[in-house]
Amino acid sequence: MSAVPDSGFAPWLAPPPAAAAPDWLEARRAQARARVQDLGLPTSKEETWRYTSLTRLLAQGFVPAAEPGTAVSPRDLESLLIPGLESHRVVLVNGRFVPGLSLLQDLPPGVRVAGLAAVLKSDPDALKERLDALTGEAPPFFTALNTAGLDDGLVVLLERGARLDRPLELIHLSVGTDEPRVAQPRFVIALADGAQASLIERYLSLGDALHCTNAVAEITLGRDAVLNHQRIQTESANAFHLSGRYLGLGTASRYQGIDVGLGASWARSDLRARFAGEHAECDLQGLYLAGERQLMDFHLDVDHRLPHCTSRENYKGILYGKGRAVFDGRVLVARDAQKTDAAMTNRNLLLCEGAEVDTKPQLVINADDVKCSHGTTVGQIDPEQLFYLRSRGIHPALARRLLCLGFAGEILDALSPSALREQVAEEVGRRLEQAPLG
Amino acid sequence: MLSVKGLKAKVGEKEILKGLDLEIGRGEVHAIMGPNGSGKSTLAHVLSGREGYTVTAGTVTFEGHDLLELAPEERAHLGLFLAFQYPVELPGVNNTYFLKAALNAIRSARGEPELDAVAFMRLMKERLKVLHLDDSLLKRPVNFGFSGGEKKRNEIFQMALLEPKLAILDETDSGLDIDALRIVADGVNALRSPERSVILVTHYQRLLDYIEPDVVHVLAQGRIIRSGGKELALELEEKGYGWLGAEEAA
Repeated sequence: MSAVPDSGFAPWLAPPPAAAAPDWLEARRAQARARVQDLGLPTSKEETWRYTSLTRLLAQGFVPAAEPGTAVSPRDLESLLIPGLESHRVVLVNGRFVPGLSLLQDLPPGVRVAGLAAVLKSDPDALKERLDALTGEAPPFFTALNTAGLDDGLVVLLERGARLDRPLELIHLSVGTDEPRVAQPRFVIALADGAQASLIERYLSLGDALHCTNAVAEITLGRDAVLNHQRIQTESANAFHLSGRYLGLGTASRYQGIDVGLGASWARSDLRARFAGEHAECDLQGLYLAGERQLMDFHLDVDHRLPHCTSRENYKGILYGKGRAVFDGRVLVARDAQKTDAAMTNRNLLLCEGAEVDTKPQLVINADDVKCSHGTTVGQIDPEQLFYLRSRGIHPALARRLLCLGFAGEILDALSPSALREQVAEEVGRRLEQAPLG
Repeated sequence: MLSVKGLKAKVGEKEILKGLDLEIGRGEVHAIMGPNGSGKSTLAHVLSGREGYTVTAGTVTFEGHDLLELAPEERAHLGLFLAFQYPVELPGVNNTYFLKAALNAIRSARGEPELDAVAFMRLMKERLKVLHLDDSLLKRPVNFGFSGGEKKRNEIFQMALLEPKLAILDETDSGLDIDALRIVADGVNALRSPERSVILVTHYQRLLDYIEPDVVHVLAQGRIIRSGGKELALELEEKGYGWLGAEEAA
């Protein structure tokens, strides 16, 4: 075990300078610090870090973003909004909730959306039971780091039967500062029984800022609750992005997640789903592009410990230049989890010889009456399809782009509403246009 | 319009075309018939610029250009169109988007302004009507999940939209029932004009009942061994290819 002071993450462990936190939170942070020390830096000897090196991340010398929110004007934000997207909006700048940029006046009854720091201040014990409820006793390294530095983020609570009338759009904006900063927002999202919501999470940077995001979300769904969760990461080409997502799915609840990873130089995403009741559904879709010097690294861990639950994983990637991607999907079916229905696919399109993907689907099945499948493909553009398009007069570059968009279409089509779908499709098209294809 | 002289082409080490000559004038419809393995599809592919064929001798001139020097898209820009024997499925690629990209690529290569969405939709609707096709075709991914007949009709629809100077129909009639065959034939006949030429590559005489050719060629063992009027097709129907010494290739 390497000593953390040498690891480069020591500054992340310094207690946040914010106003006095409740005792229970101080205790959690101390625990998390101890956990980080115990774990030491993840190395390639660990299965989940086998293909991904921290060297580049460490070399940047990120330090926690100290001062609350660099000034961002409404005009700065304006250019980042999606035309035609009607939403309740929450804006965080460098990990901190900025009420002045948010738009939360018309929330329907039974829905509470508030900054995490503000909740800790106004109602110090409100999050005591919820925080860390899903990350568990032994959180992974970067989740423990997030907890150690925890001081802001967002709390979204829907009471029993509450419904969001339009999507909640969470914009996490990173702004460059004098030195490379890490923002570690924490999201606590809980839908009580029968509640329904659509959440659009967007990660953006102003300009080509060099920064790091280490976000952790804990998402709890009560009985029959439905959450549609779309996560669109388009951070700057200099950014480092870490995401930890923890799902607790109650009886007959439904989680539909779409993970779109387009931006950042180095992006790592971990998702852990746990069924807490039967007949729940967890549907995970993803789309990633990795170009020159870009890494997209996804780890999905779905644990079927109860019977009669369904999970779907469908991730698609397009790689070009010297882009790299990792897909590590693990589905565990416990001995008593009969009638589990689980399917996992990961398809990749490699456009250049220098691009690379490591795909590792794993099914561990300990029950005998289940329906489980997995499949992965790594392929190139089909020359027959390319010729067909060219024979109709379409230039090879556009033909390749059309075929890539066709490949991505399955995931893009699942995005909603149409304003979001069109914006993301355009962004994918724009990136492919600049890509050195072939 | 098209002049093929002494064309020889190989697939791998195997010579398929062995010195083929063909002259097609403006506005003419030529049928190329022949047994399986005679080189009919190879000819269509070589003309359209498909990879995997090596031309070892001969020349192909189209509208004054050395066709063999051009990329597939450049041939399309000059007005060449191949209706595929097996149209390729493009999952996720919307048919309307594809057709618009194709038409505008050809228009801009010819120095014509691109069509905007409204003008393009108007043109599409008009062409669909001429071919008695349903517009649900436009909303689906290109050929994806299409029946055999729908795929062939989609080829003819593309042809009607792109208005080529020379259309090559590679066994477009194969696998079609009589209704689909009629739609295909109507499409070709609607396109016939003194400006436009057509090559019908086919194994059977049946298609020629609906599209009357000016010239019929018999292709066997990589060469045109006989050319004549439309009555040649009827003779072939009656006597089979053996009559011309054009047995099925080994």
